[in-house]
Amino acid sequence: MVLRLWASACLPMLLAGASIQLEKDAARRDVFSLRGVAVSPSYADFQVRVHTSGEVPALAGTYETSGDVLYFRPRFPLQPGLSYRASYQPPAGAPVEALFTIPKISLTPSARVTGINPTKSVLPANLLKLYLHFSAPMSRGEAWRRIHLVDDAGKEVSLPFLEIEEELWDREGRRLTVLFDPGRIKRGLVPHNEAGPALIPGRHYEIVVDAAWPDASGTPMMSEHRKKFLVADADRTPPRIEEWRVDAPAAGGRAPLQLGFPESLDAALLQRLISVVDPSGAVVGGDAAVAKEETQWLFTPDQPWKAGSYKLRIGMTIEDLAGNRIDRAFDVDTFERVEMRLTVKTKDLPFTIAH
Amino acid sequence: MRKFVLALLCLGLLALICAPAVAANLTTSLKPGTAEIKSASSLAFGPDGVLFVADHKEASVFALDTGDTKAGKPAADVQGINEKIAAFLGTAADQILINDMAVNPASKKVYFSVSRGKGPDAAVVILRVDGAGKIEELSLAGIKHSKASLPNAPADVKNSRGQSPRQEAITDMAYIDGRVIVAGLSNEEFASNLRVIPFPFQAVDKGTAIEIFHGAHGRFETNAPVRTFVAYSINNQPHVLAAYTCTPLVKFPLTDLKPGKKVMGTTIAELGNRNRPLDMITYKKDGVNYFLLNNSSRGVMKLNAEKLDKYEGITKQTDVTGVPYETIASMKGVEHLDKIDNERGLMLVRGEGGSLNLQQFVLP
Repeated sequence: MVLRLWASACLPMLLAGASIQLEKDAARRDVFSLRGVAVSPSYADFQVRVHTSGEVPALAGTYETSGDVLYFRPRFPLQPGLSYRASYQPPAGAPVEALFTIPKISLTPSARVTGINPTKSVLPANLLKLYLHFSAPMSRGEAWRRIHLVDDAGKEVSLPFLEIEEELWDREGRRLTVLFDPGRIKRGLVPHNEAGPALIPGRHYEIVVDAAWPDASGTPMMSEHRKKFLVADADRTPPRIEEWRVDAPAAGGRAPLQLGFPESLDAALLQRLISVVDPSGAVVGGDAAVAKEETQWLFTPDQPWKAGSYKLRIGMTIEDLAGNRIDRAFDVDTFERVEMRLTVKTKDLPFTIAH
Repeated sequence: MRKFVLALLCLGLLALICAPAVAANLTTSLKPGTAEIKSASSLAFGPDGVLFVADHKEASVFALDTGDTKAGKPAADVQGINEKIAAFLGTAADQILINDMAVNPASKKVYFSVSRGKGPDAAVVILRVDGAGKIEELSLAGIKHSKASLPNAPADVKNSRGQSPRQEAITDMAYIDGRVIVAGLSNEEFASNLRVIPFPFQAVDKGTAIEIFHGAHGRFETNAPVRTFVAYSINNQPHVLAAYTCTPLVKFPLTDLKPGKKVMGTTIAELGNRNRPLDMITYKKDGVNYFLLNNSSRGVMKLNAEKLDKYEGITKQTDVTGVPYETIASMKGVEHLDKIDNERGLMLVRGEGGSLNLQQFVLP
């Protein structure tokens, strides 16, 4: 359609039969139209508001004309379930108003929690992190009232998590990182001493994720999710690469390389911080997976293995379940001033692919 | 939150006013075009109406020329600002998130970063509210802007399948004396990521991590993330005062924030536990300098900021100690606060029924 802007300073004049309608434009976007006004009205005289009991500003949007019709195109799509009041105030007389209700869309719940890392059912008392995986993108601003830690007496543990407003989501909104309040984990902390640790060795707990947590479309999940676990003693021993075991496959096939750990490690960091370097120094393409309750890292190359000397390049910021990093415990005094770098330091673990 | 913070303590008053001679006008380095902001979290103002917007999805900071430099009336009180913003965006209050708030020191209008929608594809909107309570959108199309990528950006670090689930929440940002300082928290490593980006943006430095001693921890702790921070001057030397997640207050000299340089922070206060600091501002009243610190569960604290150089660092286990403070009983439910001038502040307060109210307040 040919559009032109109306001069906003034009004086309005009402004809009999002024009407307001809600239409779709060629791109199927909502647009409010005003017809039956002879002379271009001031934009300020034709406005659309969310229909509510309170006083609210007019919708943001743009005005356009086509022929003698004035269009108002809202900045954002109209919200299903809401009503909108469009009004035109002529220079004299009563305003022309129209109310439009956008039908509510009832979506069948389809989102669910697909898993929680760590997958183990026995976890250290100083557990630092959980990763909640969802089948669909979820709503932000909900996490801290939808995730609960319940003890074996059925009592909810108060404030076990670091409730940061920003919420630590991945880009797709399908994985949420939940940090246990470090103040309740570290030894010698006032919060630790005052509130006590959230997890007590020997006791059973459950992570409960409410079904009412809406997904990104605003629809609740299919069901709640529970993960039961037993708490073991705190783990204050940093992982040591020297204790890791490499099982290298034979040359000529694409059997996975297996890297085993004596304890469960952080699933996300394992996925990201280990790579395979071939004899020429190039990074080998392939798929990495974490298995056996995060005690195993598997790597399947895109191309068959060739005989030679390889290396596993391991990022030193890999953590175990309690946040202990390779060669460095989470809350052990480090009186030397360790330079923290934003670039990841690595260590190489050699292995051989034999014929 | 913040803040082109004129945190003028002690003898630093004249020096700081004269110091940021980075460019004649900070907008000269900005070029017109569409600012492709994918997610807007923290906001911070520089001089000349330059607004910094943290985009955690893009692991970037945008500098926008708001063109809003004419002095005017401070943002008016608005009851139910969340409902009004939602209506302006054609939706309901439960469908938006107000991520941050910052007062433009030039115009005194307040700016909000807002998500319309709550999922990962929520629309990014930057809004401002003027002295009459009118809401306007800052259009990102054709705006003069520039962008800096954060060093070691999560998007650059991919797993073996080329995916990058690693993201970083930007928990605070401030423009201080020619530098944008960004505090972040990774969704994978538990680490302190405090980065310094010179402005006008050229090349991003490698970032500087802060090693501090937490009094309440009784040990060195390099990992804890900074939650909020503010600039101030001690004996004419610019410093950063940072509040960590379990509320130690730590000072360190701004001049130490250089790539690769080790920084030792000094813990000057422990403000209690089971609490998260949210926002911090500085001001001067009756010749005395103060900090105002907003907390998740311990209300708004007013701290005397005089003679911060005289406090010995806290080096042993402690409860609540260090810089003296009082809790302002009249300020409850404050979710964001920022400074208008040395007499007034602006706060976003959670009222009954979940409404958010924008309220001016007299600095205590």
